[in-house]
Amino acid sequence: MKYLLLLLSLCFLLSCSKSNDIGVIDDIPGLGGDTWIKSPLDRWLHDSLTIPYNVAVKYKWDQFEFDLTKTLVPPKEEKVIPVMQAIRKVWMNPYIDEAGMLFFKKYCPKFFILSGSASWNENGTITLGTAEGGRKVVLYLVNDFFTRDMPGYQPGDSGNVKQMFHVIEHEFGHILHQTIMYPVEFKRICAGLYTANWNNITDAAARRDGFVTAYSMAAFDEDFVEMISMMLVEGKAGFDKIVNGIPPGVSPNGVAQAEAQARLRKKESMVVNYFKTVWHIDFYSLQSRTRKEIDQLLY
Amino acid sequence: MKTNLFCLILVLITGLYACKKELDPVFDKSPDARINETLRQYQAVLTGAPYGWKALVYPAGVPNSVFSFFFRFNDSNRVQMFSDLDGTSSVKMRESSWRLKSLQQPSLLFDTYSYLHVLCDPDAGNNGGSYGQGLGSDFEFAINSLHGDTIELTGRFHSSKALLVKATQQDMDNYYQHRMNRDIDSVSAILTYFRRLTAGNAKYDIRISQNLHLMNFTWVYKGKAQTFTTGYYYTPDGIRLSPAFNDSTSVISSIDNIRWSNGQLTCSVNGSAATIGETVRPLALDVNAPQRWYKYALDRGRYWGSDEGFHVNGADDAFHIRSLPDFFQLVFWPQAQGAGVDFDMLGFVLKVGDARPTLSYGPAYTQPDFTSDGRAVFSDIGLYGKLPPDKTPVLRSRAVMANPQGFYLIQVGPVAYDMVSASDGKSWISWSF
Repeated sequence: MKYLLLLLSLCFLLSCSKSNDIGVIDDIPGLGGDTWIKSPLDRWLHDSLTIPYNVAVKYKWDQFEFDLTKTLVPPKEEKVIPVMQAIRKVWMNPYIDEAGMLFFKKYCPKFFILSGSASWNENGTITLGTAEGGRKVVLYLVNDFFTRDMPGYQPGDSGNVKQMFHVIEHEFGHILHQTIMYPVEFKRICAGLYTANWNNITDAAARRDGFVTAYSMAAFDEDFVEMISMMLVEGKAGFDKIVNGIPPGVSPNGVAQAEAQARLRKKESMVVNYFKTVWHIDFYSLQSRTRKEIDQLLY
Repeated sequence: MKTNLFCLILVLITGLYACKKELDPVFDKSPDARINETLRQYQAVLTGAPYGWKALVYPAGVPNSVFSFFFRFNDSNRVQMFSDLDGTSSVKMRESSWRLKSLQQPSLLFDTYSYLHVLCDPDAGNNGGSYGQGLGSDFEFAINSLHGDTIELTGRFHSSKALLVKATQQDMDNYYQHRMNRDIDSVSAILTYFRRLTAGNAKYDIRISQNLHLMNFTWVYKGKAQTFTTGYYYTPDGIRLSPAFNDSTSVISSIDNIRWSNGQLTCSVNGSAATIGETVRPLALDVNAPQRWYKYALDRGRYWGSDEGFHVNGADDAFHIRSLPDFFQLVFWPQAQGAGVDFDMLGFVLKVGDARPTLSYGPAYTQPDFTSDGRAVFSDIGLYGKLPPDKTPVLRSRAVMANPQGFYLIQVGPVAYDMVSASDGKSWISWSF
């Protein structure tokens, strides 16, 4: 009897009609992404980048794409096309010419986010680019993007522009080695000198140990892609200048000038071989194409 | 039996509760439907104003500051804009993008760069704010309320306040036909350190910061010095103060009909003629400031420093001391040769390479004479050190110091003083510790 009653009460509980109607769901604001009336700029980006390369560019402000603590501003609309055109010239076209459209579409980062200002760090330095997961690349300081054919261009502006290409080449390098790894011998060239303290080291000091930039000292992978990026952006002559500019003497870490230079040369040849054997790309040809475009933009 | 009774009650209670549960909604529509409706309403109001909107933005990073804007929104997410940031933005229309979006609240977003973003730009070179912060203003706003012709906004990032008021045709024409009066900016052509606003019998010393749209009043009320800082924005007549300035006897909410003529600004305040012009002597003087300034450095065995030297007749670094070889800083060092030795120096500090900066040459003085009316008068006792090949910057700085009337000292910060010539008020130097 007791159990029957208990069972009965349970049945009552379950039998109540609970209509779980979630209401009209076809009109949730913002569902499916932001919408706005397309402008000529939106159409240009769609026709010139999204259709041919499957690359999306976000220039309208969305704080959630950035560090939420940073004061930043959106890009000037008139800067968006020049920036993306330059990226197409300097980064996309040389790769497509060397490795083909299929290669490029398959591996390129697909999502570019633009910020008008630089990202200011606590220590007074600024960040000009970041990337996430081989897919999203954030470019800063778009509002100060000046190339030599623009009014108001000063030679000093070239640093920002080169830095932007540096970020893109760097991130694309990551995608490549994350797809097919570079030879393990690369990690032995400067073994023991990688450090989390890289941000307190100058590029010049890093070079004396056989690293192309201070950031190269952060990790093997960073070293590899910094090599790719620096060699492409600076060109062959620029890279030679970096290697030859290492001063005589022994670095505080005990690396002699000749040793540092030999290490950079060895890394160079490993990068070139990697591109050749893995991706069937003639690196020096890619390098000269890339640098030629940069020269045309800036000098 | 007891248990059975308990079970029976349980059955009754569950039976009672196991009814159809219909939650009676408080609202007649779903949250989504209501948000969409609100956004549509805001969209209609914003784009429906035939002559656009006047806006005031109060950047959160600069207390009291205010900037005015004009917005004209259209249905294609485009907004035409003017602003009183500077001469260009007052007359050159700039178009950018805007959007309404339901974030945590319905929000008005200006999502590509416009005049509004200049205030937020972390590159202080664009707005005179601080690097990494700008003026701490906003370009994404939550819509707080909509009452009649007014929309109240709060910035989503820095919580800056902003106010949108429906414009009249007159307001719109004033912008598109370039009728903004910016003559107040000529105040920088008044060469004295102190600038006097004279309106009838009332007199005020004013300081204007053009970058930040701030105006500071100093006046004397019942024998006591008073000070008040407010923001201002430009109008077709002159400037409007926000909030208005109340000196305890009258209220000034705007300065109108501003015109530059004969080395001063003529204007009207509350309908009566007024002027802003030169004044050598301030209305209220901190008579103890010179001794306080001197003693502060003396007690610490250190010195006051200036990176630019003297400002004279409108020119910063008038004597080009920064072009002296290895120049680092100009200092005033009481008892530079050690405590108790009456030997003060206006010292030129040089820095050679990575070496420590060294006081290298300059004129020396005995302890200044502190007058009862608040001046410091310096008595020159000669030039010391190995002078540079071109002595002009040193000799001209020395000549200004020799002013027999001496200098007023104005404390402008906890450890910052401006030292202003008492004879004409047109030469000064900014000291910091």
